[in-house]
Amino acid sequence: MTYSSLAIATAPLWRTIEQPPALKLLVAALGLALIVGELWWFLGPHGPGVAARQGAEGRQQVTIQVDGGYDPARIRVVAGQPLRLTFHRIDPSSCVAQVIFPDFQRSLDLPLEASTSIDLLPAKPGLYPFHCGMNMVRGMLEVVAA
Amino acid sequence: MTIELNTSPCCHQEAGPASVEAMEREQARERTLLRRKVNVAALLTALVVLSSLPHMLGGGHHSLLPQWFTSPWTQLLLTTPVLFWCGADFFKGAISAFRQHSADMNTLVAAGTGIAWLTSLFTTLFPQVLIAEGLPADVYYESTAVILTLVSLGRLLEARARGQTSAAIRRLLQLQPPTARVLRKGQAVEVPVSLVVVGDLVLVRPGEKIPTDGVVVEGSSWVEESMLSGEPTPVAKAAGDSVIGASMNRSGSFCFRVSRVGGDTVLAQIVELVRQAQSSRTQVQRLADQVIGWFVPVVIALAITAFVVWFLVSGNPVLAMLFLVSVLVIACPCALGLATPTSIMVASGKGAESGLIFRSAEALETAGKLRTIVVDKTGTLTRGQPEVTDFERLPGGVLPAVTLLALTAALESRSEHPLAEAIVTYVQRQLANSYSQLAHTRSELKGSELPAVESFEAVAGRGVQGSIGGQWVRVGTPRWFEELGINTATLRPLVERLEVAACSVAVVVVDGRLEGCFGVADPLKPTSAAAVAALRSLGLQVVMLSGDSRHTAEVVAAQVGIERVIAEVRPADKAAAVMQLQQQGEGPVAMVGDGINDAPALAQADVGIAMGTGTAVAIAASDITLISGNLAGVVAAIELSRRTMANIRQNLFFAFAYNITGIPIAAGMLFPFTGWLLNPMIAGAAMAFSSVSVLTNALRLRRYRTIPLPLASR
Repeated sequence: MTYSSLAIATAPLWRTIEQPPALKLLVAALGLALIVGELWWFLGPHGPGVAARQGAEGRQQVTIQVDGGYDPARIRVVAGQPLRLTFHRIDPSSCVAQVIFPDFQRSLDLPLEASTSIDLLPAKPGLYPFHCGMNMVRGMLEVVAA
Repeated sequence: MTIELNTSPCCHQEAGPASVEAMEREQARERTLLRRKVNVAALLTALVVLSSLPHMLGGGHHSLLPQWFTSPWTQLLLTTPVLFWCGADFFKGAISAFRQHSADMNTLVAAGTGIAWLTSLFTTLFPQVLIAEGLPADVYYESTAVILTLVSLGRLLEARARGQTSAAIRRLLQLQPPTARVLRKGQAVEVPVSLVVVGDLVLVRPGEKIPTDGVVVEGSSWVEESMLSGEPTPVAKAAGDSVIGASMNRSGSFCFRVSRVGGDTVLAQIVELVRQAQSSRTQVQRLADQVIGWFVPVVIALAITAFVVWFLVSGNPVLAMLFLVSVLVIACPCALGLATPTSIMVASGKGAESGLIFRSAEALETAGKLRTIVVDKTGTLTRGQPEVTDFERLPGGVLPAVTLLALTAALESRSEHPLAEAIVTYVQRQLANSYSQLAHTRSELKGSELPAVESFEAVAGRGVQGSIGGQWVRVGTPRWFEELGINTATLRPLVERLEVAACSVAVVVVDGRLEGCFGVADPLKPTSAAAVAALRSLGLQVVMLSGDSRHTAEVVAAQVGIERVIAEVRPADKAAAVMQLQQQGEGPVAMVGDGINDAPALAQADVGIAMGTGTAVAIAASDITLISGNLAGVVAAIELSRRTMANIRQNLFFAFAYNITGIPIAAGMLFPFTGWLLNPMIAGAAMAFSSVSVLTNALRLRRYRTIPLPLASR
């Protein structure tokens, strides 16, 4: 290996190779397309969230699978109606062992291979994020007017 | 201590010791598995690095290692388990997140190491392609293995540190003893605490912990509540007093009737409030959260840009790939994500251990920015219970002291006025001292030991009068006796002296003769003056709010060192007084109070601080509860808040500075000027330890100790 293993190294690796202009153009175009594609995939609009189903006593219900992320991660619910979110955790990482709803000041511990529920009352329309204890795995409650 | 905390639980999960233990077991299991993976990864990585050493040192000739060991195929064989077993979680997490249109740290690690491994695999399979292009057929298996090992090690250290951030809640929950000795059919039976119900009679012996909340029905003792209130002095408990589950019984034995169990106990509610605070967000965190949402996609875009730019500049795809990998693995969204919540978690737990219950992260944030503290007088600066501070027999009086006290107590025991209660309590104590055979409780005093009251009349705003044993006894204000035409000239110097000391004066007149005089005052709490001084030394303006007359309020204010007094405020106007201070630009304003009438002002203030000894309504309206009911807790809350916010600022600065400087260096922006390149392995190491550094800094808050204030006697 010609590349020095030091943290910051001068550049024995530095070796210029003459590439055909068409290849350079192709790499630049592919790179740009990749950037646009990934930004759209991660940050772009992907339609409304999964709608909660109506359960008994007018309670909205959603079951979320916790496996690396939240599935579904974006949930659409109606304002003013009680909501029960059931988390089923199959991911063994303790990073996702807790889910936090900061706007509701609520948190829930999620035992592995089990379903755990939390009841919330989303009073006002708006976007209410929820996330794991590490703030890395994230989901969104989309509360819409009735 | 009487605490009524009120939360609104609507969650299916109970934060009991059992669930905490289950989570702990799970975390321990995860740490064991992680440790095993790190050990295996470290061993394999050491072999890969050894294998690639001849290439690293330049060329591979003169190597003592056998050729098969330094072959790319051997490195591939050693690295693949590191990637697909030790690093499986990163890939699983990344794929799962990708499907949900989200990207996190797993995405960066998986992409960085995956690209390095795939490039190396290509080189291993088709070396002639690179050689034909004039490039060395180098492989980067050691980078893949080293990055994954270091990031896994970082994750292990992180898991350990994370366990420590929630240690406070665990310690609180472990305070509760597992069993209680309950009286069932006259027999003491040891049962699990979960089976104790409201109304049960529970026996507690010296040295035992009190299993749940209740009211003492028999026996007496000293109980240490420091683990909940932070107050080191044990509290006397006798029949009628409340006891709190998890506090420690010191000396005597007693029996109490259970009043609250399970999630209703003070301990459970404290834990719930701490959890609530830990689940909330500060304003600064909202900013970090917004950045995190964009962070990983932007880093990926920067990494691709670095690849394209370096390919265009050098035409060297291997060099460009190394820049891409370095950018991906140096960026650390974790440090940003952890910067605020870990500090809040540690601080709110630390606060709970010191008897400071923060209801939200925002309260913890705002407390440190306060400029004005409005303190309610009664119950906050003072004990809230009037006591006789002076008793003097007057010139011209003929009755012996004991007789005079007994007549006064007999009459006052018929009155419900707070001053009357203070006088009866005082007389009871004096008589008990004089005649130890006399009764020890007020109810008994009301009975046979006191002379019978033949007639009784309360004169509104003046006092009480009645006939006792043929004598006409009056107890009331000096003004009443002036109105009745009794010469009070000899009384005046004494009355003036008492009024200067903010005392209410009750004169005793028997058959028209001035016999005695009581001074009654609401004594200051022993730490009030020191707490006010400490608040002022923190640069805060302290304002006293009181419904008392200006004279009385100013006397009390002077005693504790408060210069600004808002007196004669009706209960309904307290909130308006707080609002006025806010409008005058003296905010953020905190209101400290304990009564029902303080609740609107507590809600109006930027931070409402309730005494734990106060009413449930006041506590419900507050942002911070001081379990001890001691004003010194306000000082501690503000200091803890300031330290926490400083800690968060350090964390955020570190996290932002790390990413802002690390990413351009990894992208090779310094290369044209210095010729420096960053090895992807070092980039991975920096990333792994950046979030550990943030956690370690947050854990420094655990060393915070509240400093006890000097007690003043009055």
